[in-house]
Amino acid sequence: MNNPYAYTEAEILKVVDETQNIKTFTLRPKTGIGFRAGQFMDVSLPGIGEAPFTPSSNHYVKDVLDFTIMRAGRVTSLIHQAKAGDIVGVRGPYGLGYPLNEFKGKEVFIVGGGVGLAPLRALLYALFNEVNDYKKIVLKYGAKTSKDIVYKNEIDSWRAKAGHVDIEISVDVGDDTWKGNVGLVTTVLKPGLVDVNNAVAIVCGPPIMMKFVTFKLLDLGFKENTVYLSMEKNMSCGIGKCGHCRIGPYYACKDGPVFTYDKIKDLPNIWD
Amino acid sequence: MEKKTYKITKKDLYDLFARLSANYRVFLPYADGQRLDFGEFDPKKEDRIELGGIRQSRPVKGFINPPREKILDTSRKDKRPVILAGVKACDLASFILQDFVFLKGEVEDPFYAENRNNTIIIGCDCTYAKETCFCLAMEGAPYPQKNFDINLSPAGDSFIVEVASEKGENIINNFKMFFKNHSATDLNVRQANREKVSREVRYFIDKRGTPDTSAIRGAVKKSYNLTELWKDFASTCVECGACNLVCPTCHCFLLYDEKTAGGNKRFRMWDACMYNTFARVAGGANPRKRLYERLRNRFEKKFDFFPQILNYFACTGCGRCIEACPGDIDLREVLKGLVTGKWNKPPHE
Ligand SMILES: Cc1cc2nc3c(=O)[nH]c(=O)nc-3n(C[C@H](O)[C@H](O)[C@H](O)COP(=O)(O)OP(=O)(O)OC[C@H]3O[C@@H](n4cnc5c(N)ncnc54)[C@H](O)[C@@H]3O)c2cc1C
Ligand code: SF4
Ligand code: SF4
Ligand code: FES
Repeated sequence: MNNPYAYTEAEILKVVDETQNIKTFTLRPKTGIGFRAGQFMDVSLPGIGEAPFTPSSNHYVKDVLDFTIMRAGRVTSLIHQAKAGDIVGVRGPYGLGYPLNEFKGKEVFIVGGGVGLAPLRALLYALFNEVNDYKKIVLKYGAKTSKDIVYKNEIDSWRAKAGHVDIEISVDVGDDTWKGNVGLVTTVLKPGLVDVNNAVAIVCGPPIMMKFVTFKLLDLGFKENTVYLSMEKNMSCGIGKCGHCRIGPYYACKDGPVFTYDKIKDLPNIWD
Repeated sequence: MEKKTYKITKKDLYDLFARLSANYRVFLPYADGQRLDFGEFDPKKEDRIELGGIRQSRPVKGFINPPREKILDTSRKDKRPVILAGVKACDLASFILQDFVFLKGEVEDPFYAENRNNTIIIGCDCTYAKETCFCLAMEGAPYPQKNFDINLSPAGDSFIVEVASEKGENIINNFKMFFKNHSATDLNVRQANREKVSREVRYFIDKRGTPDTSAIRGAVKKSYNLTELWKDFASTCVECGACNLVCPTCHCFLLYDEKTAGGNKRFRMWDACMYNTFARVAGGANPRKRLYERLRNRFEKKFDFFPQILNYFACTGCGRCIEACPGDIDLREVLKGLVTGKWNKPPHE
């Protein structure tokens, strides 16, 4: 029986502490599972429960998957106790990935907040693979404090890897060690960074951040159908059957989780 | 296929059920005080069998999509095929939706598919209507027209039998001796009963002023700003979820994992969108924090979402939610309020 609710066992190869409450887990599924940047999977602790996460690794790497997971409640707290060698379950991938083909030849303007950088890391890796297909790649990332920045040790290598990548990090609250911008991520979204007529914007972060970033992007001249938002919804089945993730006429698990703003802007409570 | 019709006496039908119960699990409606409920065929309880009447108090969906189904370790279950007899048109209509959700789309739900294939459905005409019935307003009728293998129409001490599928035909062929030819008058008797019950349903619809689907189309969307309407109706809701659980078209579920001595288990369990936790995400954010938003969502799903994606109103007019609600929230009054802009508060307080 082809059971869509069954998971594939995966061994945890490595756990990296990113911040106080975020860890990155590298998993090797018993049978290879491919995905496209932006798709998500369900990670489970056998007998305990599962939760949806987007892989944060390079989608060109087929045998291992990274998940960057914030401790947020019941399942994620228990996942945080797992160690290298432990077995977890993964099923998926589900949903639609980022439409990379539509981004080609354009300037890609990425705005992340907090653990929202996880799916964006998979996107960046995918973009880096074919970096000359994109006119420009800009990443603006906001974290609460300098201690809350994920992938700290990697970000410099991203800068180095590709000539035309522009990365800027902003923290809400500064400290002695922090030399960069202090303020919400919206404060580093300035006119002139990209040619809005030939750019797409990709936003992922907490709902309140996505709301204000979207409004700012529209102010900067982005068209509603060029702003891609990752909608976090309560998900259970991942395959359009359990009804949990419905948002207006869509199921976020199969019609999303990434939506362009024009598709959802008239639906009630999209930022809650 | 051309629907063949026969006639069977009540006595022969009960004998047939007895014979079938050797190889099938046969479920029938039994009268239980005022209610009708499904029970497994038992020759000793023949006097309580009520194939006609109205819909049973519990929806038939539970036989195909059980309230709690084990979906990881499949080493269980009685695999005998099931016969469900006496299923009414309002429950049969709900299969349009349940089948769409569980069988269509990119992935089929193999547990639902197995139960569905494994079940033979014998429908039955309603022989009277209840005050809460409004199938005719929802494009239905008080007699089965589709989604059954065999249908029975009570006519005196016999039933007129209509066969609509291969599964049904096999049963007739295997037990030919029970099935007789009917006369033209028998069909007239069936027609007269159908018209009588339809008049009863229509009377209740008119008495209540229940709008029909043509008036309801688009009404929920337009009502988004009628916040007072939703607040008024939600004011007596106790968030029990009964309206979801008794509804034949509600399909939402939750995957639930459990560690037991026997190993790790995963269940699929019915869920209810009226519960506060239904849409809540980690950290407590919730797109439908307030009860009135959840009540509105329930109507949106039934009367906006499904008409939009399937051209089907996810309400069959069975009236179960009206009976089940401890807050006396009457779906018909809500619909009327949406369409006319005028409503009375639920009479609870
Ligand atoms: C598409 C998508 C991608 C995501 N990607 C990431 C990512 O890359 N990294 C990341 O850190 N986060 C990600 N998230 C968020 C992540 O899924 C949540 O943080 C996670 O679900 C929290 O689970 P929890 O059990 O720890 O939290 P909880 O707050 O305990 O529960 C979360 C939800 O599950 C329900 N629930 C939990 N336990 C039960 C139970 N026993 N019975 C019934 N309901 C229960 C709750 O009602 C709540 O709706 C993503 C979410 C989505 C939708
Ligand atoms: S909404 Fe109420 S009346 Fe309509 S099908 Fe569901 S339970 Fe029956
Ligand atoms: S049955 Fe009535 S009280 Fe219970 S959740 Fe539904 S509307 Fe609320
Ligand atoms: S997660 Fe079940 S329908 Fe989307």
